[in-house]
Amino acid sequence: MIRFDQVSKRYDSGQDALSELSFEIGAGEMVFVTGHSGAGKSTLLKLIGLVERPTRGQITVNHASLARMRRRGIPQLRRSIGMVFQDHRLLTDRTVFDNVALPLIISGTSREEIGKRVRASLDKVGLLAKEKASPMTLSAGEQQRVGIARAIVAKPPVIIADEPTGNLDPQLSAEIMNLFPEFGAVGTTVLVASHDLHLIKRIGKRVLVLDHGKLIDDFRPTMP
Amino acid sequence: MTPKKQAERNVRKPAPPAPAAASASTEPRRPRVKATTRVAAWRDHHLYGFFSSLGRLAARPWATSLTVLMLGFALALPLLFYIAFDNARALSGGLREAREVTVFLKPSIESTAANTFAAELRKREDVEAVALKTPEEGMAEFRQLSGFGEALDILKDNPLPNVLIVTPRLPADADDPPLVTELRNDTRVDLVQYDATWRRRLSDILNFGERAVAVIAALLALATLLVIGNTVRTDVQARAEEIAVMQLIGAGRGFVRRPFLYAGLWYGLLGGLLALVVVIGAEWAIAGPLERLLASYDHALALRGLGVASAMVVIGASALLGWTGAYLATARHMAAGHPE
Repeated sequence: MIRFDQVSKRYDSGQDALSELSFEIGAGEMVFVTGHSGAGKSTLLKLIGLVERPTRGQITVNHASLARMRRRGIPQLRRSIGMVFQDHRLLTDRTVFDNVALPLIISGTSREEIGKRVRASLDKVGLLAKEKASPMTLSAGEQQRVGIARAIVAKPPVIIADEPTGNLDPQLSAEIMNLFPEFGAVGTTVLVASHDLHLIKRIGKRVLVLDHGKLIDDFRPTMP
Repeated sequence: MTPKKQAERNVRKPAPPAPAAASASTEPRRPRVKATTRVAAWRDHHLYGFFSSLGRLAARPWATSLTVLMLGFALALPLLFYIAFDNARALSGGLREAREVTVFLKPSIESTAANTFAAELRKREDVEAVALKTPEEGMAEFRQLSGFGEALDILKDNPLPNVLIVTPRLPADADDPPLVTELRNDTRVDLVQYDATWRRRLSDILNFGERAVAVIAALLALATLLVIGNTVRTDVQARAEEIAVMQLIGAGRGFVRRPFLYAGLWYGLLGGLLALVVVIGAEWAIAGPLERLLASYDHALALRGLGVASAMVVIGASALLGWTGAYLATARHMAAGHPE
């Protein structure tokens, strides 16, 4: 589903964010990317959504070669990827419902269908009761759940999350992180970047470890 | 069930991503959807842009009214100039194009002699037509136009001479053609009236006025474009974060841009409507005194206002200006967030 082939990224500042990165993630697989800050986790996720272009190498997402994708194709690519951000990036001038509905509105789904899917999505993250609330009135954990609901509402084949628990306390982090394996279970490919190795190991999925832009480990922790 | 709801029912269920052939791995293909669904999606996108732009304008009533006021007055100004010149042109009437030579014959020339003179003139190469106006006809016309009807009844004799109205066959800009000179020197002629210079001057004044109105209109249209463009640009900047989020979750250029384009359209539309209100108000304000002035002349002159068709053109043009201004203002910003 996601394939990196000798991918390097050097920023204009001269900083090498990723070098010679190769790996493959199958459909329905759940994978964590970890490493210290600055190891290249965020850059890796940005390359998948074509927020950045790689300097060298080939990336394939959902059977599409990103190198050959022109600017016009980018929105279509991003609609096949549900993105979760560390700071959730909700639109504060709209209700929870409208925030979650946005990807469906963009893809041109009918209003009836939007209503059904948004509620199903909010139900999955346990926030069905808050659909009319403003994101500002929610707690940090709830806001992140809304962000996740928005990422899954259009049922994208790929979900990527960049430090989804970065701003949360350990207990909330565990609750949020435990939402992701459920998506993998229904055939969605999930890629989560997190520095919280302790938490990741407990979930027991495949882990890619980055260090200074290089892939130094690719393992699956044994469940305790 | 309404037909609309029926249409919404026939909606695409998202097809599972097709397993693409390994060879053809370029861009993700657009999922094949029924035409009715496409139309419904297109309509929904436009409704979204339509209502979200209205909501944005309504959320800031003060800023919106200021912009609309500015636009309204900027658009009203050239409209008022236009109406003023349109009326001036109507008042000057046929004068501009008129090239007749009015020949007043000496009072001693009787009607038969006048007829002979007219026949003589008709034979000339450079004369197109000659009309004879007898003293009786002249009196009737004078009575009608001057408003001195009753006073004229006191006169026992008709003091008016025979008048020949000669239409020369010559370019309108000829200053003093030989025909006029010859007529002036004819012994039967008392006075020749040929005001080519004056007419040309009037024509020049009107042409200048028209051009001035056009220039002012063009400048103010540009100002309108800039005002709307700048307003929308500020709006885009204020919403940069929202735009970034939308682009990240797959919104295309059109989707992000549409609410701003609609906002520009609204500004233009409201500005145009306000301009019309200003024009109608101004017309109404000067209508009273003007009517009294016109009534003092016998033949009815009416103020020519802006017709319905022109009003429609004004509204359409200002809406188009708004849309264009917003289009230009958003063009630069939309490229961001999508690396080449």
